Amino acid sequence: MTLLEAILLTIITASTPLLIAAIGELVVERAGVLNLGVEGMMIMGAAAGIAAAITTGNSGLGVLAAVLAGMALAAVFAFLTLGLATNQVAAGLALSIFGLGLSGVVGAPFVGVQRAGIGKIEIPFLSEIPFLGPVLFAQDPFVYASFALVVGVSWFLWRSRAGLVLRACGENHASAHALGYPVLRIRLYAVLFGGACAGLAGAYLSLAYTPFWTSGMTGGRGWIALAIVVFASWLPWRAAIGAYLFGGITILQLHAQGAGVPLPSQLLSALPYLITILVLVLIMRLRRGGAAAPAALGTPFVPDR
Amino acid sequence: MTLSRRSLMAGAGALAGATALNGPAATPALAQGAPLNVGFILIGPVGDFGWSTMHDQGRRRMLEVLGNRVTATQVESVAPPDFDRVATQLVRTGARLIFTTSFSYFAPTQRIAPQHPNVMWESATGTATGPNLAIYNARFYEGRYVQGVIAARKSRSKTIGYVASFPVPEVIHAINTVMRGAWSVDPQMRIRVVWVNAWFNPGREADAARALMDQGCDVICQHTDSPAPLQLAEQRGNVFGFGQASDMTRFAPRAHLTSSVNNWGDYYAERARLLLEGNWRPADTWGGLGSGMFRLAPFTNMTPEEVSEATRIRDALAAGTLHPFDGPIFRQDGTQVIAAGQRLTDDQIRAMNYFYQGIDVAMP
Repeated sequence: MTLLEAILLTIITASTPLLIAAIGELVVERAGVLNLGVEGMMIMGAAAGIAAAITTGNSGLGVLAAVLAGMALAAVFAFLTLGLATNQVAAGLALSIFGLGLSGVVGAPFVGVQRAGIGKIEIPFLSEIPFLGPVLFAQDPFVYASFALVVGVSWFLWRSRAGLVLRACGENHASAHALGYPVLRIRLYAVLFGGACAGLAGAYLSLAYTPFWTSGMTGGRGWIALAIVVFASWLPWRAAIGAYLFGGITILQLHAQGAGVPLPSQLLSALPYLITILVLVLIMRLRRGGAAAPAALGTPFVPDR
Repeated sequence: MTLSRRSLMAGAGALAGATALNGPAATPALAQGAPLNVGFILIGPVGDFGWSTMHDQGRRRMLEVLGNRVTATQVESVAPPDFDRVATQLVRTGARLIFTTSFSYFAPTQRIAPQHPNVMWESATGTATGPNLAIYNARFYEGRYVQGVIAARKSRSKTIGYVASFPVPEVIHAINTVMRGAWSVDPQMRIRVVWVNAWFNPGREADAARALMDQGCDVICQHTDSPAPLQLAEQRGNVFGFGQASDMTRFAPRAHLTSSVNNWGDYYAERARLLLEGNWRPADTWGGLGSGMFRLAPFTNMTPEEVSEATRIRDALAAGTLHPFDGPIFRQDGTQVIAAGQRLTDDQIRAMNYFYQGIDVAMP
């Protein structure tokens, strides 16, 4: 394997948890709900995933538990913001802090347990394509899941009727309601989907990426996922670009350091964030102001008041 | 004291959370027969398998040795900005001896110690003592020297990868010592360094180790606390690594060579005993392999010849017959630090901010 292939391979694995969580949050925000609790749901997924995987000895059950844990936390958020129409920003932040704390309790018995990670699956024939094969088709199942999510969500939002209705709820919930669509139920599904994705991203961290449990192991990736959604101006394929750009710069700066590029490591470490900000500014300039955010994003909906 | 200060303290108390806070208000002098309350402030989670885990074990060992003569209060994962609140809270709840277990806490400890003259402070890896401030550390560089020797024997690509945390003297002199050890076997050995700017961040440590391995490093040294780099070496199969702070053999049964295993317990017990007996003095302790403050975990995945060589060098370091900081020492730019026959002083080692000549990595 050449160095370039190795670098690309690493970039894809490093970007995958960001991409999975970002796609989930993108759907949530398209439905008009701002859930800042991605970090909390992600780490709950990581904790529940490894706990279930160690207890049952089955990685598949671990992934399932992670997805369910993310959804459970999302359900709490949905109860607060959809059921009681509380402030979404406050509820989301609380969810992050709650998740970080609760995951420490769930994971405590599993500290120090060693476990083999979920391995890579080479797709026959495709993985033998020169260059592209090893990079794209010799990855772990989570990477394939992230590809499928981007394509699936993109199709759902723009090519299906249900996706159109979901976007309508995000743009103008009063009109969607007037047309007879169950705004709150649609938003509930979207929030649960976001939780499932965040949980899956967490499972990737604790079951495949660094296969052990330690509290705080998400290391702020949930917040990056939130930023990527804005960066992507709420478009799935742009979220993929954002995640790979961020992951790519993160990995490239490590390679640059290893290769002895004479730049301060502190500056190199800040580079992913700097470039993200720069690209955001450029996108906004090109669009001449005016955000692409769903119009009803973050506004609670109370039917028939 | 103002109300807002009080509520801040309450916040710190909430932070202390699960750890039990013993004793009412602090008394100026230790009442006869009352147990000594010892505070511990940890930089990482107790479950980091490394630095903080070993301080936690040290605390347990202290409780074991001194029994009901001491109680302990521990606060984990304290970010440096929260240090003052947590430390003040420990003082208020009666701690008379407080171990602040990170270099990141040294400056704040130095600042806060004079405000509480009745409390004795001990800062791990600090650089200066005070009237009620002691510093303690272990000469981990002795273990790094052995790592360098082993790495030079094990590496086929003749390139060591170093996952480094922050460019502070402790890490810089460790990198230099690894090279010194490696050059003692093969002067062709080279090193690549990646700074992750964190003591503990499993994902980033793994990314850094992955980058180093992709660039051809086949022995990885780490100066960060999680087992992630070692685990990755295990996955790769043809890469070796060293454990940090605790015996990490179980994370990489086929890639692990040896680990530095910290042992703070006996020191903690001794210092608490001295305070109980009224003999505590602000000491500067820097214990090597010979002192028992750390040891090397059993050598694994090495040939018998490699093991006997590593053992010989380890014992020479412990006995003091081999010294990693003997001259001549040249900086990267070729200027001489000390000539042959001389040896760096402890203060010079602690202030090291240059790479040796022959290391072609830029200092950040």
